[in-house]
Amino acid sequence: MTIDELRAKAAERQQTCSQIKKMIVSRLDLEIEPDWITDDQPLFGRGLELDSLDVLELYVAIEAEFGVALYDSEMAVFGSVSRLADEVNPALRATA
Amino acid sequence: MASVLATTHPTDTVYGEVGDATVPLRFSSTSEEYGVLRERAAVIDLGGHGLIEITGPAAVDFAQRLLARDVEYLTSDRCMMSLVLDEDGQVVDQVVAFGREDGLLLESSCGAGARLLAHLRAHQEDGVEITDRSGDLTVIGLEGPYAWGVVGRLIDAELASLPFESVAEATWDGVEIVFARTGLTGEYGYQMIVPIEAAAALWTGALEHASPAGLEALELAMLEVRQPIPRHEATPGATVIEIGANWLVDITKDDFVGKDAVVEAFEGGGGRRTVGFTGCAGVPAPGTRVQAGGQDVGEIVHAVHSVGLDATLGLARVDADLAAAGLDLTVGGLSVTTLTSPYIVPKSWSIPII
Repeated sequence: MTIDELRAKAAERQQTCSQIKKMIVSRLDLEIEPDWITDDQPLFGRGLELDSLDVLELYVAIEAEFGVALYDSEMAVFGSVSRLADEVNPALRATA
Repeated sequence: MASVLATTHPTDTVYGEVGDATVPLRFSSTSEEYGVLRERAAVIDLGGHGLIEITGPAAVDFAQRLLARDVEYLTSDRCMMSLVLDEDGQVVDQVVAFGREDGLLLESSCGAGARLLAHLRAHQEDGVEITDRSGDLTVIGLEGPYAWGVVGRLIDAELASLPFESVAEATWDGVEIVFARTGLTGEYGYQMIVPIEAAAALWTGALEHASPAGLEALELAMLEVRQPIPRHEATPGATVIEIGANWLVDITKDDFVGKDAVVEAFEGGGGRRTVGFTGCAGVPAPGTRVQAGGQDVGEIVHAVHSVGLDATLGLARVDADLAAAGLDLTVGGLSVTTLTSPYIVPKSWSIPII
């Protein structure tokens, strides 16, 4: 791949990650700018320090925003924003 | 600073110098100890972590100014991880702050106690007492999907299910210890702060239910879940944003040492970002250049052989517009692929505490 093709591919993931971050901040009413959340930081316990109630909130939010139901998924899908991006935008996973 | 447990450890233990500490790197083999940590329960000598007490009428205000996270209401039943920054926003250390009745207790990262102590003393003000407790207290960790079972057998099963970052006073064999639910590897994790005269007995007691793991296995497991390891990742000149340790800073907090520099780096955008990668033969050294489409776009920060992936696993710091998973880059002429974190899913995420 050329560097421009790599940048375009990175931009697609970063765009999905950005959308997820905005959704998390808005839905959970967090007092931080969405971009302060990094793509790779932990979300539960460490990191963003979300709890099980927040997970339920995010299930609903993800289905509403992306049309993807994660209710039966393992906790691993919430491992990071980038990991969530793989779930809500399978095109990213297919090329990863 | 040698481990207070050095006389307890087997004579063939392999030690290494990390900052101001001499710590066990491995007791047997890293892969064996990694397996224990990821599959069962490991007991870890964290004696390389310095312990510094901050007391006095202005202790909390002082800690609030020196720590990058909000510790104003950190009660004695809670602890939290935070960065400590200098005025330029550079990482001095990554600490665990324990709320105490009369102030705070800070636990440094491995080998960074002396540097942290010097930094705190350089900023000391009236009404604050700073006491190095590393000479009379030490830290023993438990990590693994069944570490909770060890806690139950060793001390008290109720402690095993404490919420994350909860702290309790506990008694072991008549000795008062500080017990905390923490964790560095994504597995169930606990820490015990214990008087050094009781450390050997507690360590030996823990070994009846768990196996020892050294720093190499611990740091590998930390890397696999993107738990920052400051001694590898906080390279000179790198901002918090470039390191990707934003979550260890409360950017909404009114003021703290280094805040202006962090805000400037965040609002300025650009710079580089850290992303995980796998692939390539061997383990590239820190500083090895990273190329994308034939152009130089960054460098290797830290890399190891991951037992869990059975492949090279590392962190690269690359141009922000290329810091994403799923890209094929080149390191030292060899292909690597960037990864989504966590790179290994901890077993503890699917095992309940019974």
